[in-house]
Amino acid sequence: MKKLLLPLVILLLFAEVTIAQDIEYTVANIPAELKENANAVVRLDQKDIVIASRKSMVITTKSIVTVLNENGLQHMDLSEYFSARNRIKSIEVQIYNSFGKEIKKIKRKDFKENSVSEGSIITDNKLLYCDYTPTEYPFTVVFQSEIETSNTAFIPSWYPIHGFSVSVEKAIMNVQAPADLGFKYKEFNMLNNPAISKQEKAGGVSFTATNLVAYKQEDYSPSFNSYAPNVIMGLDAFNYEGLDGKATNWKEFGGWVYSNLLKGTDEIPQETQAKIKALVGDEKDPLKKARIIYKYVQDKTRYVSIQLGIGGWKPMMAKDVDRLGYGDCKALTNYTRALLEVVNVPSYYTVIYGNPQKRDFNQDFVSMEGNHAILAVPVDNKMYWLECTSQKMPFGFQGDFTDNRFALVIKPEGGEIIKTQEYQPQDNTQISKGKYVIDEQGNIAGSILIKSKGTQYDSKFDYEDKSSDNLTKIYKSYFNNINNLKLKKINLQNNKEEVEFSEDITIEASEYAKPTGGRMIFAINAYNQISGVPQRYRQRNNPFEIIRGFYDYDEIIIDLPKGVTIEAKPENVELKGAFGEYKTELAVINENQLLYKRTYKTNPGYYDKKEYENFRKFREQIAKNDNAKIVLVKNQ
Amino acid sequence: MKKNLLTICLFLFALCAFGQAKYELGKVTIEELKEKKHPKDTAAVAAILFKNGKTYFDVDSERNWILVTEVETRIKIYKKDGYSLANQQVGYYTGGKQVRLFFDDAVTYNLVGDKIEKTKLKSDGEFTEKVTEDYSYKKIALPNVKEGSIIEYKYTLKTPYFALMNDWYFQYPIPANHVQYKTTIPEYFFYNVFMKGYLPVNSTAPIKSRNNQLGFDEVITSYSIDDVKAIKQEPYVNNMDNYTSMIQMELASTYYPQRGSESYATDWETVAKKIYEYKDFGDELKATSYFEKDLDAVLKDIPSREDRVNAIFDYVKSRMNWNERFGYYCNVGVKKAYAEKVGNVAEINLMLVAMLRYAEIKANPVLVSTRSNGIALFPNRGAYNYVVAAIELENKEVLLLDATTKNALPDILPVRALNWTGRMIRRDKTSVEIGLMPKMKSKEVINVIASIDTDGKVTGKVREQYFDYNAYSFREHYLTMPKDKYLEQMEKRYNGIEVEDYSTANDKDLSKPMMESYSFAHSNVVEHIGNKAYFSPMLHYTQTENPFKDETREFPIDFVYPSQDKYSFAITIPEGYEIESLPTPLAIAMEENIGSFKYNISQAGRQIQVSAAIEINYANIPADFYVTLRDFYKKMLEKQNEKVVLKKV
Repeated sequence: MKKLLLPLVILLLFAEVTIAQDIEYTVANIPAELKENANAVVRLDQKDIVIASRKSMVITTKSIVTVLNENGLQHMDLSEYFSARNRIKSIEVQIYNSFGKEIKKIKRKDFKENSVSEGSIITDNKLLYCDYTPTEYPFTVVFQSEIETSNTAFIPSWYPIHGFSVSVEKAIMNVQAPADLGFKYKEFNMLNNPAISKQEKAGGVSFTATNLVAYKQEDYSPSFNSYAPNVIMGLDAFNYEGLDGKATNWKEFGGWVYSNLLKGTDEIPQETQAKIKALVGDEKDPLKKARIIYKYVQDKTRYVSIQLGIGGWKPMMAKDVDRLGYGDCKALTNYTRALLEVVNVPSYYTVIYGNPQKRDFNQDFVSMEGNHAILAVPVDNKMYWLECTSQKMPFGFQGDFTDNRFALVIKPEGGEIIKTQEYQPQDNTQISKGKYVIDEQGNIAGSILIKSKGTQYDSKFDYEDKSSDNLTKIYKSYFNNINNLKLKKINLQNNKEEVEFSEDITIEASEYAKPTGGRMIFAINAYNQISGVPQRYRQRNNPFEIIRGFYDYDEIIIDLPKGVTIEAKPENVELKGAFGEYKTELAVINENQLLYKRTYKTNPGYYDKKEYENFRKFREQIAKNDNAKIVLVKNQ
Repeated sequence: MKKNLLTICLFLFALCAFGQAKYELGKVTIEELKEKKHPKDTAAVAAILFKNGKTYFDVDSERNWILVTEVETRIKIYKKDGYSLANQQVGYYTGGKQVRLFFDDAVTYNLVGDKIEKTKLKSDGEFTEKVTEDYSYKKIALPNVKEGSIIEYKYTLKTPYFALMNDWYFQYPIPANHVQYKTTIPEYFFYNVFMKGYLPVNSTAPIKSRNNQLGFDEVITSYSIDDVKAIKQEPYVNNMDNYTSMIQMELASTYYPQRGSESYATDWETVAKKIYEYKDFGDELKATSYFEKDLDAVLKDIPSREDRVNAIFDYVKSRMNWNERFGYYCNVGVKKAYAEKVGNVAEINLMLVAMLRYAEIKANPVLVSTRSNGIALFPNRGAYNYVVAAIELENKEVLLLDATTKNALPDILPVRALNWTGRMIRRDKTSVEIGLMPKMKSKEVINVIASIDTDGKVTGKVREQYFDYNAYSFREHYLTMPKDKYLEQMEKRYNGIEVEDYSTANDKDLSKPMMESYSFAHSNVVEHIGNKAYFSPMLHYTQTENPFKDETREFPIDFVYPSQDKYSFAITIPEGYEIESLPTPLAIAMEENIGSFKYNISQAGRQIQVSAAIEINYANIPADFYVTLRDFYKKMLEKQNEKVVLKKV
């Protein structure tokens, strides 16, 4: 104990000195550049993390935030989570007016408690929070807390800037751990940043950031952690919910997860074993066996989120899932794994970040990461990824929730970082073929067959279960360029084997090309107009990302009314560039019939902000051409 | 109009049979399990086969009344999207007293071969979540649920709070084949019973019966309905709960032989009087000492009554900050709220009333039910959740004030409070109904001067003026937003526009209209095809999409407030072009003076002049007029989208 006391005292002293010197609560002291694009200014955000042992970590927070206006309220976080292993030792808040005079003090007893199930059916986590209604702007809030936890598996990451529209005058992170626990950290986006300094010491590190200007929220921004400075931290030897662990690489870490959290959870009752063996029968092909099991799981189970105790990482017992018929992602993944084991198909429990905005596991930094579990089934040197929480996804189909990212695959012999399936633009197709007729009154009637694959399948396969009311809404919005739309037929087919979704649709609408002044004017591309143009920014700040590409092809035959002449028609267009390709062709088959062909492909990519305006121009041209009109005049 | 909206039916229907075996837990049939889709709603993901509720009274060991509600439900799951129905939760308020809620008989039934397989819920599928000190949930997740499963459960709520019973719903987001509810009320209690919604719920005449165990007479009433359609969300609806069929009950009075009759709520007057008598309401209105000195300073040298009203209103608005809590009774009290400059709705608006009265202005509180709380339909204290201030004028009119929002003005209430009617309580505890819905048209005036260059680019200047509710909404939503973000939104809304020199005026001067002006360049308006150019002369203000797409409509259309939008455009055409054709003028009006659209266009040399006016004359329009409204929008949009054709000379 004595040894520990010393660094703690020094740290505290250090903290006090810093505050007294650098921070005054008056708003007048805030440098002008920090107010730009900012709704709040973090005057000081200091976290002191002292790890006394593998089972004890104390996090002391002092944050001083000046809230400039209502939109800045979200940047004052006056709460802490707690649970059985996460104890709030102290928490308090003081509010100062813009002249630095204290106007309110909120003690622990005035904080409120709330359970935080957030969609889960049950959770252990609770929140202690303070509800403050500001009486004037700007004001400054000082938040101080001390948390003690035994979960040393998670050391908070350091983001000197937490998000958009907030700037930082000073942010400090101090970490101190006993040398034998193997403290480690990794920095991102901090290279050559003169505003951030680092001080290494035995068993610890300190970071200080000064005067960081605010980031702006902008469309097509990549995930925040890919460009904002941040540091992830961890211990080689840690404790998680009472379990000791040690890992210096992913292989070791995966091995620890396997033997501590997975092993022994996979027992399947005899009755179910017999049932699935009968289902599989004489089938030898592991892929076919896996398909049978996956269907069995999809028919038998449903997703229910249960966040209790060690539930954060340890799956529920397979036999309980078998009995209840539900579980969370971990439980259902592990259950599928256990069933596959019964029919001798090896598979691996996999931890991943599930989100359409991709996020990778760090290949060279071991820590407890991820928020989702899926199952990896290796067959003939190919990995098939199963989403076990869905009752509807085709076998081996990932969609945009878990595609193309590094995940931790847990094998009995240890962990391995493997990338999930990537969808290329040509995998994400939408092929539309159809026709429409324009009559003398300008009414439109037509039909179209749309076939979608890949991520475009992902966004549609759910339609097959929608009510006709909802489908009508969906298609009225899909064809929102056609007013007065009536859907005459909607015929959907979900081919799960081929992972292809077909939409066979017949429409009509009055006055699509209403004649005025003896002319009929209408957009040739009636069925697939992409009118959205990315937001213009007076000054683009962030890089941008097109996360996934796609490929659309349309082929439409157009019947014109009798007795008209084409006065003008859109030119054929071809655009080619880094962001994709776009091509339209309009051919006159005979005086009353046209053939319209359109190809549109976008490429995925991560781009510098300088490219943004070019991207916008590219999309603007597409929007313009998608809305290009034909003009018909009545023959005299 | 109100009668159209809400069908109130009280004990109108004849006796019908209850308690058939069909509606008992545990008696699931093979036919029910075999059913693949709901016979009347084939898209339904699940259906309530029956829901059977009863409420009665019991007495605990200390001779306190306990209100017991038992609910039995059988649900058929047709599709995977209906699995969420297999997770059920019931919330309950504890508020420091002993309240118990428990589930029983939760079972899943499946058809295996031709046998019924029964899986009971065990304790590991049951959860309690204590959300706050006063509020908890009991939750269950039924086991072994598949497409075709039937689930059943029962829950029982035992509570000492019996003044206001939980609402009983007859309509749900999924179809319900049979819903029944039975109340058994001891002879000592009299409840007001009100029904809302469109559905013809059957009810029996009350029957008297002896409770031999507890030794008193009881009155039994039953309600039932079959084949209830699922309730569906529609756009432009105030609050779906206003149209959902349900029963609401509140204790009206008690009668004990020794004590005689004691009234709780029998009519609106009594309700209002009771509320006035609450310490946290009436007493809070009386206190004045806490503000007297400050207010004397504010009112010094202001002789006119109108100016005094405005001065007081502005003073409360600027001093006080709303903590976003609702309620018509005070929480910390006006004194503390005043000192801390933070309060709930009651603290702020009762303080306002007290100050107005102190200045000898005839002011009263008005009880309100907010939009999210639904319409206060029958006399009960729980019907209200909000309070505003009213000033009675000589001409019998009233002026409504709400100081919880800085941008409010006299008679411009925050939208949350615009919900049909409120009840004004005077000092003598008498009360009257007050209409809350705005009657005057909130104007918006838009002037555009633009010219088109030979490349088809439109450049110009815009001046927009917002009045009344339009000004209020603008100040509430846009002024709080950083300017760049607002401009980005605007550029998103008017695809292809580039906005410069943006400025606003009268941001804080609420007595004047909110003004906005900007210059723009737009390259997406004019289309060159061949040697002609085409454009819609309302430029980027042309509406292209009809907001009313559905064929039919069930619920009234809520526009929040009547409005009048006036546009005028002066557009100079490019050199080297002449006008080949212009759209024709149009004037259309809807029946019953619902609204109108006027469109005029003319040519003056190289300039095209357009004026257009859209009027919607009511805040709320009954569903009967939906087709009228939809067709009106269709015609209006067609006209707006008609093109001016320019020809190269």
